[in-house]
Amino acid sequence: MNSQSQRRKNFKIEAFKHKVELDPKYAERTWKVLEHAIHEIYNNNASRLSFEELYRSAYNMVLHKYGDKLYSGLVATMTAHLNKIAKSVESAQGGLFLEKLNHKWADHNKALQMIRDILMYMDRSYVPTSHKTPVHELGLNLWSDHIIHSPNIQARLQDTLLDLVQRERTGDVINRGLMRNITKMLMDLGSSVYQDDFEKPFLDVSACFYSGESQQFIECCDCGSYLKKAERRLNEEMERVSHYLDAKTEVKITSVVEREMIANHMQRLVHMDNSGLVNMLIDDKYDDLSRMYSLFKRVPEGLSTIRDVMTSYLRERGRVLVTDTERLKDPVEFVQCLLNEKDKHDKIISTAFNNDKTFQNALNSSFEYFINLNNRSPEFISLYLDDKLRKGLKGASEEEVEVVLDKVMMLFRYLQEKDVFEKYYKQHLAKRLLSGKTVSDDAERSMIVKLKTECGYQFTSKLEGMFTDMKTSEDTMLDFYAKQSAELGDGPTLAVQILTTGSWPTQPTAACNLPPEILTVCEKFRTYYLGTHSGRRLTWQTNMGTADIKATFGKGHKHELNVSTYQMCVLMLFNSADGLTYREIEQATEVPALDLKRCLQSLACVKGKNVLRKEPMSKDISEEDVFYFNDKFTSKFVKVKIGTVVAQKESEPEKQETRQRVEEDRKPQIEAAIVRIMKSRRVLDHNSIVAEVTKQLQSRFLPNPVVIKKRIESLIEREFLERDKADRKLYRYLA
Amino acid sequence: MRRSSNRKSSSASAAAGSGSTKAASKEFEKIDHLFNVYADKSSAIIDPEGIEQLCSSLEVDYTDVRILMLAWKMKAQKQGFFTLEEWRTGLKALRADSMSKLKKALPELVKEVSRPTDFLDFYSYAFRYCLTEDKQKCIDIESACQLLSLVLGTQFGPQVDKFTEYLKSQSEYKVMNMDQWMGFYRFCNEIPFPSLENYDSDLAWPLILDNFVEWFRENQK
Repeated sequence: MNSQSQRRKNFKIEAFKHKVELDPKYAERTWKVLEHAIHEIYNNNASRLSFEELYRSAYNMVLHKYGDKLYSGLVATMTAHLNKIAKSVESAQGGLFLEKLNHKWADHNKALQMIRDILMYMDRSYVPTSHKTPVHELGLNLWSDHIIHSPNIQARLQDTLLDLVQRERTGDVINRGLMRNITKMLMDLGSSVYQDDFEKPFLDVSACFYSGESQQFIECCDCGSYLKKAERRLNEEMERVSHYLDAKTEVKITSVVEREMIANHMQRLVHMDNSGLVNMLIDDKYDDLSRMYSLFKRVPEGLSTIRDVMTSYLRERGRVLVTDTERLKDPVEFVQCLLNEKDKHDKIISTAFNNDKTFQNALNSSFEYFINLNNRSPEFISLYLDDKLRKGLKGASEEEVEVVLDKVMMLFRYLQEKDVFEKYYKQHLAKRLLSGKTVSDDAERSMIVKLKTECGYQFTSKLEGMFTDMKTSEDTMLDFYAKQSAELGDGPTLAVQILTTGSWPTQPTAACNLPPEILTVCEKFRTYYLGTHSGRRLTWQTNMGTADIKATFGKGHKHELNVSTYQMCVLMLFNSADGLTYREIEQATEVPALDLKRCLQSLACVKGKNVLRKEPMSKDISEEDVFYFNDKFTSKFVKVKIGTVVAQKESEPEKQETRQRVEEDRKPQIEAAIVRIMKSRRVLDHNSIVAEVTKQLQSRFLPNPVVIKKRIESLIEREFLERDKADRKLYRYLA
Repeated sequence: MRRSSNRKSSSASAAAGSGSTKAASKEFEKIDHLFNVYADKSSAIIDPEGIEQLCSSLEVDYTDVRILMLAWKMKAQKQGFFTLEEWRTGLKALRADSMSKLKKALPELVKEVSRPTDFLDFYSYAFRYCLTEDKQKCIDIESACQLLSLVLGTQFGPQVDKFTEYLKSQSEYKVMNMDQWMGFYRFCNEIPFPSLENYDSDLAWPLILDNFVEWFRENQK
């Protein structure tokens, strides 16, 4: 029993201890197989190789820790082949150089693919652990090092490529496909290779080229042609990139062209004599302008250069326009000119400058600048509107009317002295309404609405009052005739317009002596009116009325004369006398001298309207003149208009008077603004008050700082404000 | 106080009819006595004539600025007249109760006035003193020029000369108001003359001074 248990031992399975060493000769042999395969691959003899066998060989080598040998062997073999290839490429002549290179590259890639497939196990297991470059990448790096950067190839490659580009730029046709392949090769080798070996030198050479070309062009071309050439070159380069360069090169080459052809010559182009920006603007060269805009947009300060030149041109042009004394003689023409300029430049901005808002602003600021250089602009704009509303817009459709009015509103917005415009507009409107000479009531109202929208209710409330008065007067007249028809019999027919004082422009009334027939019916009206409206006072405005008179001349010629009230008074005198001296007329009518002279001039000195004859026959009225009823007066019209109530450009003294009234009106407005500001701010320094007041009043006029100061002093005197005792630069509000 | 003089002064004050108490009249007896020398007997106020006499007693010209200073010290309300109250105020402040003491007090008074704070008060007083009518707020340019020379002539001679020259040559301003009057004094103090280098018309200087500076600069050319 004992021997049995002693004999029983643990059964152990021992590990397979002995090394299965690969015979080193085996490794060498295996390598040789692979080396041979690589050779064959490079010699385009791959078809006879067995992929499976080669893969296994490589696998075994790596497995048996011969990865190093395999790898270094690979490197050596490939290098050897590449050196051979390099020599082959170097030996290529002329144009064949690139082709050879391209061809060899294609081959190399194919070979590399196969090699990598074979050595895939090494790539996956040995390469990462020993931190070596993977096969594919290795192949590319070796190519870079031994071919591309080979001393005999590197420079030649670069020169060849750049030379081809140069030739293409000068008009030759080149092999774009080949170029594409080469540049793609460089990209594949790494973007730093592409950039260093091709892109950077390409950009440098291009800069030189374009610098030279632009210098040449600018000496011999006009601006428009130059820009065309620049645009063409720019497009060419973009096309070049899309065909055979890397996409990332596009923005780099375009900025080279932009810099050399555009940015460096911007000032010269814009200011070129006879063809620069200003000439383009004058001649409406939309294409050229559009091209300039899109090219200059690409460079820094490009658009601002155009804008600045355009602005200073506009300001100068505008300044010349508004100070041209010839043109100023006809206000309607003057305004039409301004409108035309605006239209012209609006069109340029929308057609050629892409409706760019900054250009629109530059246009606006220029107009604002020069319109206000002439202080009669507000008056003239009102006269223009008067002309349009009186006859210019006759027969125009509603849309056409709106278009015209809107355009005038644009000019109105540029005015600094809107209150002056208001004064004139009121005067002209009054004349239009009273003489019944308005083209369309709708047009008038439309204008009022536009002014209200622009300036607020206060601006137009009085104007609207004028319209109301006209309507009310109509109703009153109807009522008057309905009630009084019996009494009136066949006296002269009266049409009264009752104007509310305050709504209408005030003019000093000088009563004149009305003819008795008129006086009677006027008194009847006064009685009627005051009967229905107690507490009111009526004053006849004899300087604003009109009359229709039936006159019989020699040979029984009958005419109906449309005259002003003053003229009527004068003419009626001739019912009882054939001839009258100036003084007699003056005494009888009591019309103020200046008006009387104008009146007599229009009755006696105007061809076709000379219902009176004057001795002597001079053009001017002197106090010694004698007037006779002109028996021989003829006119082909039955109705003859001799009235002088049309709105006209003011004479110098009238202008002074209006301006004075405007200045007077401004004083309370300034004071009100000052008080408003001080009431809320309590204490404020001088400059701030001036700034605030200016801001508050800017929709009506631009206050003069000196006037503001004067108003402040007046307010101090009247104890609305005081100077601060501690700091005399401050003002204080006194409650 | 001597008894005999007591009676005198009380009768004097009774005659003056100022209604002051015996105690007050005791204090002011000499001053009142001096007052009566120059006061008009019926109105019991020193009128222009009286002032003229006062001036000759003081050996000072009627138009001398020291009379104005005296008026200031008295806080006299009406130009050309001194009431008893005012007389008392002034002379008490000057510690003068006789003509000789008053004469001696004058140089002191001049020194006092020329102290900056007092001068400002005096300067504005001078203007107000010229407003003779009730609601009057301005004095005519002619008078203003005279007053300026009187009051600022010694201290700011060149400025005063030029300014008065300007005022007389222009026609826009026919009167001067208090604000402009005070403004000019500020001007003399703050703006170097004749360089006028830091004068800025955009600040709150009265417009009349803006115009003066412009006129001055124009005439320099």
